[in-house]
Formats: sequence, structure tokens, C-alpha cells
Amino acid sequence: MLSRDEVLKIAKLARLTLTEDEIAFYQKQLTRVLGHIQDLNQVPTSNEAFVQHVPLDAEPFREDKAEPFTNHEGLMGNAPAVENNCFLLPTIVEHS
Amino acid sequence: MEFGTQTIQALLSGYQKKEFKPSDVIGAYLENISARDKKLNSFLQVRAEETMAKAKVLDGKLGEAVNLPLFGIPVAVKDNFLVEGWQATAGSKVLSGYVSPYTATSVKKLEEMGAVIVGKVNCDEFAMGSSNENSAYGPVRNPWDLERVPGGSSGGSSAAVAAGLAAVSLGTDTGGSIRQPASLCGLVGLKPSYGRVSRYGIVAYASSLDQVGPFSRTVWDSARVMEVMSGFDNRDATTSKRPVPRYTEELKSNSKRTFTLGISRSWLEGVDSDVAKSFEAALEAFKKLGGKIVEIDLPHTKYSLSTYYLIAPSEASSNLARYDGVHYGYRTQNAKSSEELYSRSRGEGIGREVKLRIMLGTYALSAGYYDAFYLKANQVRKKIQEDFEKAFTQCDFVATPTSPSTAFKLGEKTDDPLKMYLSDIFTLPVNLAGLPGLSIPCGLDSKNLPIGLQLIGKPFGESDLFAAAHSYEQIRGEFPLPSIAKGKG
Repeated sequence: MLSRDEVLKIAKLARLTLTEDEIAFYQKQLTRVLGHIQDLNQVPTSNEAFVQHVPLDAEPFREDKAEPFTNHEGLMGNAPAVENNCFLLPTIVEHS
Repeated sequence: MEFGTQTIQALLSGYQKKEFKPSDVIGAYLENISARDKKLNSFLQVRAEETMAKAKVLDGKLGEAVNLPLFGIPVAVKDNFLVEGWQATAGSKVLSGYVSPYTATSVKKLEEMGAVIVGKVNCDEFAMGSSNENSAYGPVRNPWDLERVPGGSSGGSSAAVAAGLAAVSLGTDTGGSIRQPASLCGLVGLKPSYGRVSRYGIVAYASSLDQVGPFSRTVWDSARVMEVMSGFDNRDATTSKRPVPRYTEELKSNSKRTFTLGISRSWLEGVDSDVAKSFEAALEAFKKLGGKIVEIDLPHTKYSLSTYYLIAPSEASSNLARYDGVHYGYRTQNAKSSEELYSRSRGEGIGREVKLRIMLGTYALSAGYYDAFYLKANQVRKKIQEDFEKAFTQCDFVATPTSPSTAFKLGEKTDDPLKMYLSDIFTLPVNLAGLPGLSIPCGLDSKNLPIGLQLIGKPFGESDLFAAAHSYEQIRGEFPLPSIAKGKG
């Protein structure tokens, strides 16, 4: 069983605030899924057989040409808060 | 005239003969949505006025534009596609109220060829799920039995077409999210080869697995959508430059071909008895068509679930990092630090299953676990790919049931993630290997619920898949419709 601290560590890395109920819930669920995944250890694999999956005939290189995107209103319209056509964030004072 | 059960082919023919015009058809489908969708919850957004205005513009082009391959065809689009001016929630509270500033390439191609978008349809949050019960906007119900799920994650896409609310729909398939709901709702569903259709403008889940594909009533309709939608896109570096065949033309020229189907008996253990019976009957039908059945061995497919649930969540944890409450989407009201702004926005905005997968992926990629989990999963993925390569030296397709069971009841599998994940055991390896897979209805079980046959093809072998499925469709005969599609129930 994954510990409460392990769940909190993963949640912190994933930038997810969890409620107390969720911590207990994910302790069980993560343990259940990770337990199942152990079956991969039965498969002998060599270290060099890592494959990044991309079709062989794709051509990821193209001319680096900028194409203008003109729908600024459409983009800014989705912002949680806007001022003077800039994204507005809450005032946060942090001590390092 | 009643609309809702026609194929694309029938609608195109009616337009050609001037039996009706686009506003008649689109208007009727919009009426079907408002009359029937209260029971199904498949649509998340309908813009009736704008849609009717588009249909009326097409009315005026009945003379010149009628030869467009999708002229006046009503299409429903999964809510993880961006269509300019329409919402795109991907079934998540995080994207509630998000309005797309541009249009996905796949949708743009359909619209340019005459299709009319009738609405955005429900799905599991960020396309993660097999029952549509993970949507922040409520579950979708199966048109064949309202107590049951339509499958997922493209549950709205499948329910909408099955119930006669759209002639065709688009979905995405990362581990079975087109084929499984198509199977559970009695439709044809295609997951194309990786690289065949552009993903530009799709909300990303797991980028080495995601593909866009159609839901339709017939194989011809699926072929028609694919010949319009496929092809290279400068905006998606993973699309292939291979020419796109005229799939509907090739259906005709391939109609007399016979095929060899490979089946792996050990993989089929544990399938529901009605599904197994129907699958065997479909194999017999292929034999009658002159086809051969051979036994093949796919020794690593049993590891597909574990492989998938490491690779897909790992990619998801990275793709979903963008939902931070800063530029768009849900933002918490309770942040006292920038760290809290991200963590609380995500914690409050993202749903239960998606959080589980983000954490699984974060764990698999974290220091000390990468080799044991992510690297290992990619090595096994390679072995699964090699299994298929070897199988295809003996057969043209691998055949399986699409799903081990027919539609299950709402709530039946929500407590245990593994129980839900097992719904996709026959579809997951197809995405892991980047292959095309097609689900076609092959029978009904004792509860009158549809059963699907899955044919898995060689890379970019869509044309052969269509040919085989089309031949089978001819001897199977017309597939029944749920009563709601006929305006009853």
C-alpha cells in the first residue's frame, strides 16, 4: 500500500491539491493500479529496445516560418481575468 | 419526411435528386436533438440559429455544391475538438466556458466539403474513461437501454448517431474510445493508423496514441468521412505524407477480394458467452465470403493494459500540465501563492479519474521510477508491435470482439479502475502498435444489446479494412436500430 506521504509527494509533483478524502481514495486506487502493473516485470526486455513511437514516414522538419494568428480577441476572451489586453493574475507576495 | 436513420450515402442521393434540401435535413436533426436528447445527455452545446443559417446558405448552393462529398451532412463533434466560436470543454470543469479561437484541421476539412456541425457532444473528461461516466457534465445514456452506458470515452459521439441526432460524428481514440462505444451502440467506428488524420486542434491526452476517427451507420459512410479528413497537415508533425486513397472508390474495386483473418484463442478467454457466439458467427460469415481463418500467437497482448496505463498517464501528466489557471480555464479563488494558484486550480477543476491518471504518470516519470516503469513499458510496447508484425505475415487482419461484454449498467464499474480498464483489453494494443482498427456491429445479445467485431489492419491498411468490413456488412444485412432512433421510446 502506498503511504499517505507518498501520495502527498506525487500530488505535490503533479501540482494537485487533494482533500483528506481524496488522499485516502488515491492511496487505494494508485496502489491497486500500480499493483497490477507489476506484471510487466515478467517480460524479459533488453535495455536498448526503447522505441519512441512515430510513424516511419512522418517528416517532422519543416521551414521555420511564422504564421500570424490574428484572433487575439478569441484568445484573450478565454482568460480568467484580463486588464489592458494582458492576462491579469492575483496579487501574490511570496517570501523566498 | 422523417430524418435520423439515413446514411450519408442516402442523404447525398436525396440531395442529388432534389428530394429535399439541407435546411430540411439539418432542421429535422436539430428537432430530433431537442426532442430526444433530454433522455440521453449526449449534446453539450447546440447553436440552432447559427446552424440553420449555415444550412440555408447550402440550400442556395444545391445546384453548384451538391457534388461536395459531404454536402449537407449533419455531424456531431466530440467536445475535445476545437471549432471556432464553439465551446470545447473536453468534458472537464477546467475548460467550462472555454470558446475555441480556431478550428481543428479534421473539422475544417469536413466543413469545407459541405458538412454542417449540429453540436458538440459529451465525453469522458479529457477522453479518459470507458463509460462516459467521467464527464463533468453528467453521464450519457445508451440509446439501446437508458439504464446502460454508451461506452467511452466518445460516448456522446456514439449515442448521438445511434439515436438519430446526427448522421455521423467525430471522436478520438487513445485506447479504444471510438471502437468500444461504437460497439456498445451498434455503429461502425474506426481508429485510423497513427499519422493518418491530423490532431491539430484536438485537446491532447496521450500524444503517441491519440487518433481522430468517425462513427457512422455503415462502412461506406466511414470511408467517405476518412477520404475527406485524412492526410498530411503542416500543423501536425506526426501526420504522414502518404497519399490518401479514394476509399469509397476502392470499396467498389476491392469488393470481390477475400481475406485471411488471424485469431488468437488465448487472448479471447473470458469473453461473455453471447459475445463469443456472435464473434464465431461473424468468422463463419467471413468463411462463406471465401475468407480463411488462421490461428496466430500474440504473446504480449496480455501486457497491453499495464503498458497502456503507464504510457498514456505519463504522456497525460505532461499534456495536462498546461491547465494551471493562468491563461485560460478554471482558476481558484483561494490562492495565497503562485504554487497554490496552480495546485488549487488543478485540484478544484480536474475530476477524479483524470487526477488518478495524472498522478500515475507523475509517479512513473519521477526520479528513481522512470526505468522501472516508463522505460519498461516502452520496451514491452515494442514487443506488442513485433507480435502484430509477425502475425501479419500469416494473415491480413487480426479479428477480435471489440469489447469483452455488451453495454454495462451505469455505476456497475465505477468503484474499481481495473474493472473499467478491462473493457478495453481488445482495443488498447491497437493504439500501442499504431495500427488501424475498425469495429462493425455483428449481432445482438440476449438483452437486445449490440455486439461489435473488431478488425485490426496493417499500418495504413484502412482501404483493406473497409473492403473486408463492407463485404461482411453485405452478408450480415441491415443492422437493427434502437427504438429511440425511430422516434419511439
